[in-house]
Amino acid sequence: MSNPCLTATGLHKTYKMGKADIEVLRGVSLHAEPGEYLVITGASGSGKSTLLSILGALDTPDKGTVTFQGRNVFQMPSAARNAYRNGLVGFVFQFYHLFPELNVLENVLMPRMVMYGAVKWWSVRRQAKRDGAELLERVGLDHRAKHRPKELSGGERQRVAVARALINRPALLLADEPTGNLDESIGAGILSLLARLNDDGQTIVMVTHDPKVAAYAHRSLVLKEGVIHESSEPGSERPVPAPVGTEVVR
Amino acid sequence: MYKWFLAWRYLNTKLIALFGIASVMFCVAMVLVVLSVMGGFLDTIRSRSRGLHSEIVLEGGTLQGFSYYEEFGAYLAKELPDVVKLHTPVIYTYGIFRVPATTFTKPARVLGIRLKDYVRVNDFQKGLYYDRYYPGTTHLGPQALPVAGVSLFGDVRLPEDLERANDLWREGEMDPEAIASFDEQPFEKAPYPYVTPVMPSERVYSAHVGEPTYKEPLHDGVIVGCDLIHYRRSDGHFDRQIARGADVALTLMPLNPSGNPTGEPPVRLPLRYSDDSHTGIFEIDSLCVYVDFDMLQHRLAMDPQPLVSGGFTRLRTNQLLIGLWEGVDLNDACDRIRVAWRDFYASLGPEVSEADRRALGFVEVYTWEDLQRPFISAVEKEKVLVTLLFAMISSVAIVLVGCIFYMIVEKKTREIGILKAIGASGRGVTSLFIAYAGAVGVFGAVLGLILGSAFVWNINAIQDYLASWNPSLRVWSPDVYSFDRIPEIVKSADAFWVGSVAIVSSMVGSLIPAIIAGRVWPVQALRYE
Ligand SMILES: Nc1ncnc2c1ncn2[C@@H]1O[C@H](COP(=O)(O)OP(=O)(O)O)[C@@H](O)[C@H]1O
Ligand SMILES: [Mg+2]
Repeated sequence: MSNPCLTATGLHKTYKMGKADIEVLRGVSLHAEPGEYLVITGASGSGKSTLLSILGALDTPDKGTVTFQGRNVFQMPSAARNAYRNGLVGFVFQFYHLFPELNVLENVLMPRMVMYGAVKWWSVRRQAKRDGAELLERVGLDHRAKHRPKELSGGERQRVAVARALINRPALLLADEPTGNLDESIGAGILSLLARLNDDGQTIVMVTHDPKVAAYAHRSLVLKEGVIHESSEPGSERPVPAPVGTEVVR
Repeated sequence: MYKWFLAWRYLNTKLIALFGIASVMFCVAMVLVVLSVMGGFLDTIRSRSRGLHSEIVLEGGTLQGFSYYEEFGAYLAKELPDVVKLHTPVIYTYGIFRVPATTFTKPARVLGIRLKDYVRVNDFQKGLYYDRYYPGTTHLGPQALPVAGVSLFGDVRLPEDLERANDLWREGEMDPEAIASFDEQPFEKAPYPYVTPVMPSERVYSAHVGEPTYKEPLHDGVIVGCDLIHYRRSDGHFDRQIARGADVALTLMPLNPSGNPTGEPPVRLPLRYSDDSHTGIFEIDSLCVYVDFDMLQHRLAMDPQPLVSGGFTRLRTNQLLIGLWEGVDLNDACDRIRVAWRDFYASLGPEVSEADRRALGFVEVYTWEDLQRPFISAVEKEKVLVTLLFAMISSVAIVLVGCIFYMIVEKKTREIGILKAIGASGRGVTSLFIAYAGAVGVFGAVLGLILGSAFVWNINAIQDYLASWNPSLRVWSPDVYSFDRIPEIVKSADAFWVGSVAIVSSMVGSLIPAIIAGRVWPVQALRYE
């Protein structure tokens, strides 16, 4: 446990629903090492998305801390927290959440545009486009760069979302049920993509309700009744990654 | 960078932006039209007021007038020869104007002018009708009725001097269209081959079968305001129903130097209609008639009259119009003439009668601007008021942009959540929507300026077209607005300001939705598909 990339300690989150309080997280603690592929499984409604949102600073915990590379995420000034969301973590959602008006390449470049002002962008735009093209190639969508999201299949959209999450080379990739909305075979393509990214050194924290998915990870945890339970370390059983873009060939 | 990029992309792909652009466009066009028309109206009033009197006016302030004006004129010529070019007296009074042929009567403001000098201090000559087509034939002296001769073949000829004057005009006229349109006027088709003062055509003279001639008796000439003697059609042109040289009459009330009626019965002046005057200001053209100064002075008993106490009264006038040399500063000249008047007044000896002295005490020196100020400033205020009113109405566009942007933000909540999730700041998202609104404003403003300018440039054609459907659609009534044509000029400064305010307003309108967008909480926006 040397120098973890991400540490969460004692996270609590309660939602108020009318009179009843729903205690979703009741003291969640976890850590992710650099280069690790961590999967958190849990039943639907167990609070996985809530947890991941807090890790990605999209939401705040009622109690507890998230430390990223030694800095407490929720004590950062808001500009630094924006920079954290923008450059240090990448987020992949279950429902892709692409910009419908933008084409694939523009979607991928969006976090880079957010990073720079208009003047600075002018000088970095060539490099950004190269990076975007390269990422699209890595996720097997270089031939779709000019297409709108609605012209793509679900699996392709999720690949675009992965590329977008990676454009600013984040230290940590957070994935919230990236295959939850996809057929199993297509989901497998995404999972193998993530596995290959991890092989290249990308730290990944993924949540899923599907225990089978946990097979891809180095380590898996179970979220149940608001707390984390350790699970076995299935790293050796990881299946061989399928070739990129299998679901395109359907 | 994403702000500009997304603002631009939304502008291109969101139909709803077109509604915003359209509302800004119509408001910009509306305010620009109002501002241009009112501004043009004001400028026209200014420039016409300029040509109405003379640069400087010595104003008596009373109807009975003031004396010693000739002495003061001589004093000016001696003291300020490099300032004053010429001066000419004007008498004004009120009377009853009557056309015997129709027994039509109207109140009239009667001006006694020395025509030759009067046209040198102002733009009066430009508005004379017959003087344009028959230059040099308009005068206020005794004159007979010109009668055109109609040959057995239907050819019409005017007396020789009028024909020659008309030829002179044809040679000097630069605009061939003016000649063509003059020739089109229904003179040749005049249906009455006998002497009649009333003819339904435009360039009218009386006519008879035979040789052209003049018919006596001689009467003094009168120039009549065109709206007083002619009927103005709804398209702004005049129906000249009364032939040149027709008999008209003025009834006047002479006053003595202290302003009381002289005790004589009212004076009835038989006159000949020599020309009509179109200054373009309805209040003047529907009221004023112009006769010879010396004749009027005599008929109003403003020339020397025997006094019971022995001796005579002095010549009186109501105004002395003073024309300046080219390049002389107006206000400076006015100050110097004011001083000259004070000095002149002080130099008057004890021989000046009590009544004269009192009337002289009322005399003031004005510039033409001073005289028109009440009117001009009223119009200026009207311009500000109307523009403000329309700007207020246009502020509806701000609300509209607010509504439209609220809807856009509602629809875009998820995307705003994504933006936040990838690190955009609240302020950044807010400024994205303000930039978007700014772009809507820019397009709306540009289109609005184009639309508004096109409207203003063709406003009279539009009005004529509407009036051709239904005359009651003629909104610009010359009696109300003084002018027969609507001003058609758009000033670039006006356009600039209207456009800028529209862009800023559009951004202001989007402020609340933009702030709402900035506060979107990413998880809430992203929870569901
Ligand atoms: N904003 C919210 N308001 C109220 N309840 C919420 C909110 N977000 C999540 N919840 C509730 O918290 C629980 C956990 O939700 P979530 O984290 O989405 O679970 P999972 O991703 O594991 O399916 C659910 O019961 C859900 O209804
Ligand atoms: Mg979930």
